[in-house]
Amino acid sequence: MSVKYCVACGMPMRTAKDFPLGDESKDYCVHCARPDGSMQSYEEKAASLAAFIVRTQGLDGRAARSSAESQMARLPAWRKRA
Amino acid sequence: MSIQSSKTRAANPTMQGREFERPKKRAKQKAESRQRLIDAALRVFARNGILAATSAEIAEEAGLSHGSLFSHFGSQEALLAEAISTFGALATSRLHELCERGAGTREVLAAHLETISEREDFYSRLVVEAPMLPPVARQSLVIVQSTIAFHLAPALEADRAAGLIRDLALPLLFNTWLGLIHYYLANRDLFAPGASLVERRGEELLDHFMSMISIGGTV
Repeated sequence: MSVKYCVACGMPMRTAKDFPLGDESKDYCVHCARPDGSMQSYEEKAASLAAFIVRTQGLDGRAARSSAESQMARLPAWRKRA
Repeated sequence: MSIQSSKTRAANPTMQGREFERPKKRAKQKAESRQRLIDAALRVFARNGILAATSAEIAEEAGLSHGSLFSHFGSQEALLAEAISTFGALATSRLHELCERGAGTREVLAAHLETISEREDFYSRLVVEAPMLPPVARQSLVIVQSTIAFHLAPALEADRAAGLIRDLALPLLFNTWLGLIHYYLANRDLFAPGASLVERRGEELLDHFMSMISIGGTV
């Protein structure tokens, strides 16, 4: 299987566990899905990506949010919104 | 071309197949040109510096027209952000594999150093110029570093649970590691003149870092 990239965060999705509920037909990854397997909203994704940046690098919250939004603006799912 | 031959061609399934192949071929060529521009940009940024590089130099290095750079990326800033993401994807792909097979902290950090050494000239420019880069590029680098830290976390957790390393917060531990590596890379003309910093001093830096975070010796 060729590697798919999440349309919402860009993560490579290599195995079933990278997909929401293991569903490999989805174009977004497990980290961009809600518990029921549906895709997170823009606001949910921006908040979780900013939290990820704070958790991993300890950036200031606003700087992290700005980086999260900038990253999302480059991805297919959110490009039109930016 | 006669009308008859044209009709025959339209009815020929092989020719219709070729019609379908054209968009595929175009998409492939487009992807190849895009990748050539990214690879060329990484070489030019490494050689000339990121802020000093011009779009004309990058296009020439790629063997493509100046206009093609803008038709693929819209701006040189966007190309820079893509080049940083490409570098990050290569690094995190290797760390991902190590994560999957439960590698320890030292092994993951060594792999991180190895990915840096493969693009050391570019990465050193990135370290020095990061605060001055356009926001889109800076933010692309933030995502790359967070993804690297994320892939380091499972190894740290496992070694911590095994009582091998100290209980330190991930951001501070990761930033301390980057701080050490980046200081040496930013001044590599002093620490490893004319050579690869990672090749010459990487092992020493890794030993030092591991001794700082380890409990009762080395991991």
